[in-house]
Amino acid sequence: MTNVLAINQVGYKHNFKTILHDVDLTLETGKIIGLLGENGAGKTTLMRLITGSAKGSGTIAVCGDTSTAHHKSHVSFTEQLRGFAASTRVDRVADFYRTVYPDFNGARFEEMVTFLQIDTSLKLTALSKGMKEKVIIALTLARQVNLYLLDEPFSGIDSMSRKRIISSILKWKPADATMVISDHYVSEIAPILDEVVIVKDQTVYAHKESDAIREEFGLSIEDYYESLYTEGGTDRD
Amino acid sequence: MQFDDKVPIYYQIKNHLYHEMMTGQLVPGEKLPAVRQLAVDLTVNVNTVQRALGEMITEGIITSQRGKGNFVTTETPRITQLKEHLIMEQLERAYEQLHALNLSDDEIIASLKQYIAQRGQQDD
Repeated sequence: MTNVLAINQVGYKHNFKTILHDVDLTLETGKIIGLLGENGAGKTTLMRLITGSAKGSGTIAVCGDTSTAHHKSHVSFTEQLRGFAASTRVDRVADFYRTVYPDFNGARFEEMVTFLQIDTSLKLTALSKGMKEKVIIALTLARQVNLYLLDEPFSGIDSMSRKRIISSILKWKPADATMVISDHYVSEIAPILDEVVIVKDQTVYAHKESDAIREEFGLSIEDYYESLYTEGGTDRD
Repeated sequence: MQFDDKVPIYYQIKNHLYHEMMTGQLVPGEKLPAVRQLAVDLTVNVNTVQRALGEMITEGIITSQRGKGNFVTTETPRITQLKEHLIMEQLERAYEQLHALNLSDDEIIASLKQYIAQRGQQDD
């Protein structure tokens, strides 16, 4: 099994405050990984470090390439559709993706638009929370890359949208690509995760195979995750 | 399908497929859906489906034909064996727990008979 991501001793500070320190993490190809941690634990920061849009210390190799300038061609991450004017229509955003990313597959995007029932003539301001997440999923998965990052795609959306989004991940994630999904509430995605990575105390606190957690401890992923927060108990607030 | 999140998912997928074979929803020689389709239908990870099917192939319950897909075995004795194995598994668990309550073998048989009789009455 080859590695899609190798993070070695990565740290990140913002305004002299440590956000992440001593992060070591290796991910294999073809997996779905849950990136779990409380709000503000550093999950989004870790994603930004992987894409190269944030710069920290240490090294991050994506497909063996440690040059962060090259990461964007291996990694698909749509951060909250920032950078687009609120009046931009969804189909214009897709046009932009098509122009900027040579790996953007228009046919795949159209398939997902149909499956997720997205109206691409809508402006970004007109999108509900759930619809916005669906647009982000379609844009992210329409690129053909080695590593997909989804930042809390299920926060504040209804259960029907959630089920559709989960199905589209299972349908369209390429078999040899790895996907990292961050969430602070795990039970809804637990059955689709190969592994979980838990961010706590400003670092990668645990990295385990999901079925190993169930088999070894007889615990649900959620119970395991919660147990890590209660056992340490150092910085609860 | 609803999963118990405390039990390994690959194990639950196997049990789900066993159940379909025991109840005749999957018959000997029948082709199973493609792995990705099974993953979408059950809302689980493709790798987890692979693992479950891989173990069932090793057990000889499923046969894999290169380029064609996965099929329920046509060797019906295998399925009979599997059923016996599943029955033994359940009995073992029940027996051990009753034994732990200090019941003798005769008492276990007696209480099982009584239980079945009572159940029969409830069903009427």
